[in-house]
Amino acid sequence: MNTNEGLMPVGRAADLIRAGKYLSIGGDEQALRQLPAGNWIGGTIPYFMANDGGKISRDQVFVHEIKGFSAPPIMRLYDADGLPQLCRNAPENGFTILIIPAFSECHGSFAENAPNYEDMYMKPVVGWISGIHLDDLGKVSPKVVLGTTGEFSEQHAVAMDVPLPPNKFARVDIINLFRPGTGDTITFAETGFSVGACQINGKQANLADYLIGNSTDTRLPLVADYCGAMINVSIKGIDANARRVDFYAPVFPGLDYKIAAPVNDYLGSFQAALPKIDSGISFSCNCILNFLYSGLEGKRTANVTGPMTFGEIGYQLLNQTLVYLTIEG
Amino acid sequence: MKSEDLLRSVIEVEAPWQVVKVRDDLGKRQVDVWIAQQTGRSGWFFGSKATVPQDREQVWRHINLGNSRCLIHAVPPPKAAGEAPLWCGDGDLPFTRAMSRQIASMLLEGIKFQSICSILDVTVADLWKFKHSLDSGKAGLSSAPPPPPAAAAPSTRVPEADDPVWEKLLDGSTNIDIRVLSLKLLLTKLREQMRVITDAEVRVLKAYELQRYFVRYEQMLNHELGQLGR
Repeated sequence: MNTNEGLMPVGRAADLIRAGKYLSIGGDEQALRQLPAGNWIGGTIPYFMANDGGKISRDQVFVHEIKGFSAPPIMRLYDADGLPQLCRNAPENGFTILIIPAFSECHGSFAENAPNYEDMYMKPVVGWISGIHLDDLGKVSPKVVLGTTGEFSEQHAVAMDVPLPPNKFARVDIINLFRPGTGDTITFAETGFSVGACQINGKQANLADYLIGNSTDTRLPLVADYCGAMINVSIKGIDANARRVDFYAPVFPGLDYKIAAPVNDYLGSFQAALPKIDSGISFSCNCILNFLYSGLEGKRTANVTGPMTFGEIGYQLLNQTLVYLTIEG
Repeated sequence: MKSEDLLRSVIEVEAPWQVVKVRDDLGKRQVDVWIAQQTGRSGWFFGSKATVPQDREQVWRHINLGNSRCLIHAVPPPKAAGEAPLWCGDGDLPFTRAMSRQIASMLLEGIKFQSICSILDVTVADLWKFKHSLDSGKAGLSSAPPPPPAAAAPSTRVPEADDPVWEKLLDGSTNIDIRVLSLKLLLTKLREQMRVITDAEVRVLKAYELQRYFVRYEQMLNHELGQLGR
C-alpha cells in the first residue's frame, strides 16, 4: 500500500500537497478547507471505504496520489456550458479525473449528455459526484475544490487531466454486483431523471403505480445491459400523488431496463467479482447507496478503497457501482 | 468570365434559381448571398424582379469563399421539386448540403471537432447541432461523395473502415464478447443511433467512428479483435 494514499489526517494530506504531489482528495468541507493550495482537486464527502473498512469521518480526508504522468497534470474548473469540451481537452494518451457537485447544473447536464460529448469513450474519464453528510441535507451543499487556487464551487465541476507516456494506457472498469432480475422489461421514450410514463413489456404504464403496486424494493436499481456492461439507475424516491419516480441518474430511451435481482451478500459477492489486478488500482470510488444499503460501515471491500459517493463516473454517470482505474502497458 | 457568372458558378446556382443579391458588409470576412427562383425575366443577376420572401427565408452556412464565410439566404424549394440544390440546406440544419458534405468528409477522416471549427470557421454549437441531427437520424447525407479509402497501417489487425464487419457489429447482426468498458458503452450508443439512422452515408460515418476506436485501442482489444475473423 502506498503510504501517500488512503484515509488520512488533514495534516498528512497537507504535507503531501506542500511536497508538490498531485492528488485527488475527498473529504468533508471543513476538512478540505484546512488544506493549502497546491496540485490537487477535491470534492466534499464524509463517507469512505478505508483500508480497515467503511468509515464516516468529518476530520479525515481520502487521498489518491496521481503518479506516472508524462507531463504535469492540468487542473481546471468547468461550468455546465464548458463541460462538453471535457474529453476534447483531455490528453491524447492519459486520463481525466472528474468531480461534480451533486444537485448542480453540471451534474444534470453531464448525466444526460456525457455519452454524446466529443471523444467520449475515446479518452478515459473516471470520477465521482461529491456529496454531504446525510445529516446535513438541506443545510450545506456538495462542493468541489480546485486546489491550485483554493476555490470551492457548488456549481462547477473540477477536472484533472493526466497525460501518460506512450507505453502506458489507462483503463476504466466497474464492478457492479447487480444483475437484471427476471421480472418485467421497462422502457422509456425519453431521457430523464424523473419519470411517470413508461412501457412495461411493451404496454403503456406508469412506473410509480407499477413500483407501488408490486411493492418493489426501491433499494434495488433498474439495470440495463450495455453490450455486457450492467448499468444501474438507482431509485431516489416515488411520489405517489404525482405518480412520478425520481432517479439518481437518468434513464435513456432505446434500452431495456429491469429491476435488479437482490444481492444478499454484498461483501462475499464483491470479493468474488473482483478481478486479479496486477498493475494496482490508481483510483477507485464506490456508491454511498452500497455503503448504506449493504451496511458497509466497519466492513472491508478487499483492498479497493476510496470515497463512497453520490454517484460514480466511469465515462458516464453510474449508480450503485464501484469504479476503478488501472494503468497498464 | 464576369464576376457575377463566377459567383453563380462557384455556388452552383442553376436555373430556375438565380442570385438576386450579394452583400459583403454584414460581417467581417463574410459574404451573404440571396438566391431565389426566376420570375420570367431573362436577367440573372441583381436586376431581376426575383426576391427572397423574408417571412419564409432561411439562412444556411455554405462552403467558404476564399477566406470569407458564405451565408446563403433562400426559401427552401418544395420537396416535390426533386433533389435540392447543393447551396440549399435541409430542414433546420445550419449548413447547406455542400457544406454538410464537406464537414462529413472531414469527420470521416477523423478530424477533430475543434479543428473543423477552426478550419471552416464554424461555431461549435452549429457543428454539434449538425452532428446531433445525423446521430438521431433526423438528417442525412444523401448523395454525399463516397468515403476515401481507409489508410490502415499494414501491420494492424483492425479491419479496414469499409469492411462489412463494422456495419454488422453496429446493427447487432454480429455480437462479440466485450471485456473493455468503453467499448461496451460506445457500441451501445452507436447501436442506438444506428437504430434510427436510415441514411446510408451517415451509417458509413458510424462505421468509421467504431473502426477509429479499434485502431486507437488495438493493443487493449486482443480478445475482441480475435472474434472479428481476422
